[in-house]
Amino acid sequence: MDKNFQEEFTQIIKFKPPLYKQRHQFVKDLVEKYKPKKVADLGCADCSLLRMLKFCSCIEVLAGLDICENVMKEKMHTLSPLPVDYLQPSERSLTITLHHGSVAHKDPCMLGFDLVTCIELIEHLEEPELKKFPEVVFGFMAPSIVVISTPNSEFNPLLPGVMSYRHPDHKFEWNQAQFQSWALETARCYDYSVEFTGVGQPPTGMEKAGFCTQIGVFVRKYPQTGESVQSEKPTEAVYKTVFKAVYPSLKDEKYLQNAVISEVIFAAQIIKHRLMSKHEEYGDDPERKSKFQPSVDCFSDYLGKLVGEKNMEPFVSGNEVYIPLATIFSFPKVNRLCGTFEKLCKLIAGKVTLSSDGSAVMFNIEHENEDN
Amino acid sequence: TIGLQVSSGLQDLSLRDRGGRRRDFHDLGVNTRQAMVHVQESKTGFSGRMIKLTTNHFRLTSRPQWALYQYHVGYSPEMEARRLRSALLFQHEEHIGKTHAFDGSILFLPKKLENKVTELFSRTRNGEDVKITVTLTNELPPTSPTCLQFYNIIFRRLLKMLNLQQIGRNYYNPGDPVSIPNHRLMVWLGFTSSILQYEENIMLCADVSHKVLRGETVLDTMHSLHSQVGEERFRDACAKELIGLIVLTKYNNRTYRIDDIDWDNNPKGTFRKSDGSEMSFVEYYKKQYNIEISDWMQPVLISQMKRKRGNIQGPVALIPELCSLTGLTDRMRSDFNMMKDLAIHTRLPPEQRQREIGRLLNYIQKDDNVQKELRNWGLSFDYKSVSFTGRVVQGEKIFQSGNMFDYNPQFADWTKETRGVPLIRAVPMDSWLLIYTRRNYDVANTLLQSLFKVAPSMGIRMNKPNMIEVDDRTEAYLRVLQQRVTPDTNIVVCILSSSRKDKYDAIKKYLCTDCPIPSQCVLARTLSKPQTIMTVATKIALQMNCKMGGELWSVEIPLKQVMIVGIDCYHDTVSGKQSIAGFVASLNQTVTRWFSRCVVQSRGQELVDGIKACLQTALRNWSKWNKCLPSRIFVYRDGVGDGQLNTLVNYEVPQFLDCLKSIGTDYSPRLTVVVVKKRVGARFFAEMGGGLKNPPPGTVVDTVVTRPEWYDFFIVSQTVKNGCVAPTHYNVVYDTSQLKPDHVQRLTYKLCHMYYNWSGIIRVPAPCQYAHKLAFLVGQSIHREPNLMLSDRLYYL
Repeated sequence: MDKNFQEEFTQIIKFKPPLYKQRHQFVKDLVEKYKPKKVADLGCADCSLLRMLKFCSCIEVLAGLDICENVMKEKMHTLSPLPVDYLQPSERSLTITLHHGSVAHKDPCMLGFDLVTCIELIEHLEEPELKKFPEVVFGFMAPSIVVISTPNSEFNPLLPGVMSYRHPDHKFEWNQAQFQSWALETARCYDYSVEFTGVGQPPTGMEKAGFCTQIGVFVRKYPQTGESVQSEKPTEAVYKTVFKAVYPSLKDEKYLQNAVISEVIFAAQIIKHRLMSKHEEYGDDPERKSKFQPSVDCFSDYLGKLVGEKNMEPFVSGNEVYIPLATIFSFPKVNRLCGTFEKLCKLIAGKVTLSSDGSAVMFNIEHENEDN
Repeated sequence: TIGLQVSSGLQDLSLRDRGGRRRDFHDLGVNTRQAMVHVQESKTGFSGRMIKLTTNHFRLTSRPQWALYQYHVGYSPEMEARRLRSALLFQHEEHIGKTHAFDGSILFLPKKLENKVTELFSRTRNGEDVKITVTLTNELPPTSPTCLQFYNIIFRRLLKMLNLQQIGRNYYNPGDPVSIPNHRLMVWLGFTSSILQYEENIMLCADVSHKVLRGETVLDTMHSLHSQVGEERFRDACAKELIGLIVLTKYNNRTYRIDDIDWDNNPKGTFRKSDGSEMSFVEYYKKQYNIEISDWMQPVLISQMKRKRGNIQGPVALIPELCSLTGLTDRMRSDFNMMKDLAIHTRLPPEQRQREIGRLLNYIQKDDNVQKELRNWGLSFDYKSVSFTGRVVQGEKIFQSGNMFDYNPQFADWTKETRGVPLIRAVPMDSWLLIYTRRNYDVANTLLQSLFKVAPSMGIRMNKPNMIEVDDRTEAYLRVLQQRVTPDTNIVVCILSSSRKDKYDAIKKYLCTDCPIPSQCVLARTLSKPQTIMTVATKIALQMNCKMGGELWSVEIPLKQVMIVGIDCYHDTVSGKQSIAGFVASLNQTVTRWFSRCVVQSRGQELVDGIKACLQTALRNWSKWNKCLPSRIFVYRDGVGDGQLNTLVNYEVPQFLDCLKSIGTDYSPRLTVVVVKKRVGARFFAEMGGGLKNPPPGTVVDTVVTRPEWYDFFIVSQTVKNGCVAPTHYNVVYDTSQLKPDHVQRLTYKLCHMYYNWSGIIRVPAPCQYAHKLAFLVGQSIHREPNLMLSDRLYYL
């Protein structure tokens, strides 16, 4: 290649979006496609990939592993649940754990994963570690899918300022043939199939250089039987857990109960409010009934339908208002949360004031003022 | 040079306030005591009996000869990105050590490097060689302001390590929330903390803080508003309810203030990303966070970011569905039931409060990582809170028409003692109006009969009113006022059937500006219970008497020729347009009559110019009443925010002095300016009978937890039924009175007895509370300066 041409060329190569984003997007697309429940990122560094993956709704377990504890710790708190996650717990459960340790060591906490990603990891491994790596990841962890990305050294001459390796910590950078032969051999050895792709398109006319980042996607050929896995695996833990976050989830009875109680009382309040305002001043003033705009309504129309049915009608008796649970149960949100009427009754038992026969939510209105 | 400024990057570690300008919240470096010679030696009082107190302060200890080393870090060639600068520097952890705080240019280390200048060499990813020069610039003693800021930063790091969540300025524990489903509220328990140099020690002041969060999104709130108010008033109602509130987003840990609602936009609308490309909100949230926006018709919220964050500058658009509300709205605050339900969880009695604070200290003590971090910096805490002795000054005697009363110090209230005793000055009600709707005819009569029963014993002469029935519409009330109020009318009483604000506002506005006559609005509901009607009628009679210029009781004020001034501010957060300063000054020797004015200022203007004019008219009025000018002036200034002390001292106080000078060349009264602060972190607990109790009213604290650079003290003047009593902090920033600190403390406490709307002791000196009331009425209802004809009466009570 003509040197001048090359230099001119290096000016132009700038990936958009940046290459690391493209690698993350690649993983994300893969997650969308295969919907893994348990995902581990080996060499997770500052956890930026994990931070992105936590928004993927199929994932219930996320784990990160890195040899450098400090780099993980720097931003690990960004993996904690947000205040809103507590306020509106999600349907799915999610646990995020960070481990400090080496990919050359086996630890049972890495078992049972569906997807293991090794993004820009292997080129940081010393010779002996690289040797143990396939046995640990493919032999021991043995997830359904493994993604490995690494720099393609054939692309280096196109990058500005790259003399030998792209990063001072890189122990090697492979060309396409080197990576592929290593990958094929590994796949063969552990019964995986492998497909090659990459991110960072080479410029037109330079296609032979290949992707800037080369990627191998390994898929295990045979589903593993649970028992055979356990028998031959050592169970001694060698990684150190540096972070663990359990996200609030409706699968957890505590959060489900809180959510149900909150929705039940909210629904009951709305019905009560409507009932009371009908009784009082607004009732005789037709102008006050507004023309609801469809997108903002949903509730009121719905309530209109409900009141038609007889035994579901709320009523006032003395200083008390009764709102039948059956009415409340037919609210979509309550219904979705509980599933069955029995479950609803069970969850609110003792937490919400009910009528003596337990069929209705009861409010005392004696001390309430008319306006609020 | 040792600056107060830690560069903004390092502050990022800790104080992430809502994009506002960074302020020095602790008013460090405002040294007012040094200018006051008479308190150089001692600023403590002496009267009263001793009391053993515990507080929520904990000593910070460091190893002997501890210092913090500050370095400047330079790069050659110059490196721009902060992350890169950090990464390059920390390749040399073997030199600089594992314990460090670095903001990109300033490095703090707990140890001194071997050489004053250290050169290190790193290589970037691109193979570029970089020379890093680390130069020692400062050796900071533990008491230096920079060091204090540094402690606070480290402490916040610790809280983060304990997995507490930062919301605004404080940290909260999300693990164990209290939910109040009746009001869709959730309360998180958390902590406020600050580390400061106190009288003798550097201490951590830790207090329990509660964050009210709401289990609903902004969209939910919009839905329920829509069903409550209907289509027509929907947008107005949304603006009123939502603007000014702080929201949390579903996808990041930031808080935003809602500044506006863009009704013409929706999630399908597009915005420009930092790389210049356009994208719709729907697409963006799907792509970035995998969030599907379900309602595509909702409007978009606008938040004005005051500080540049990354590449984003200017307003930020937020989707209502993805925002959760925090805090309470005014509407919620006025909901008695809601506040009652909340108080159960947030009003912790002394022992429980101290236990919760103890829990935090316990977490810190037990957590290995936290302890390691502290050890690395060479710091530790005294895990037992500080104890010391305070004083309880004697109760005041209450004088009322030749009678003298003591009150039970436990309750700090003399309602019972003074019942049925003639007032100091009872204003007759010869001509007055009673306005009511048909529905409230009975209630109006009940009120009238009750008033006739209670008024004579107070010495109030009362004629039959003009009873006027009106339709329950604002215009009907106003028409009656226009037709029936005459210059002879003493007062107008309106019975309102609901607490609808517009009606109240309209009546108040008319009777405070166009037609200056005192008025009293009463909710029909308040009068509907037979068992309380006499109590209510008594209160109303007293209140009306004050509004017409009456006087109720007095305490002994030993100073002669003294004028007492109270100032407080009200900031209109809803429309965000106005600030109002209430200004109240005493008119007579017994401090029972007051001159009241206020300053209405639009945004960006300084309140102080208006205050100067108020002081001038107050002096003129005082001299009219007393035939001379006051020889002493006390200004109690409330409404000074955290970090505003410097401005007050350097700008406002000189303006007061200027104003006095302008009265006459031979006029030089003694001036005392006291900054009053109700929101302080300090809590005191009396050690009594083996347990912790609230300290009794009259407790004065002027040692240990005060600040060495100030002439300051705390007084606990009020009592509380539930929870912990909050002491009020008084900071004398200017004082030529030559009075002993004890006398200033005593005068301050006396003034807490003089608020006529409450026959008991209150939290602040009465003029501050009057000023607050006035500013609140004007800010909430009237929006312009009331007619000066009313200024010699407490018409705003």
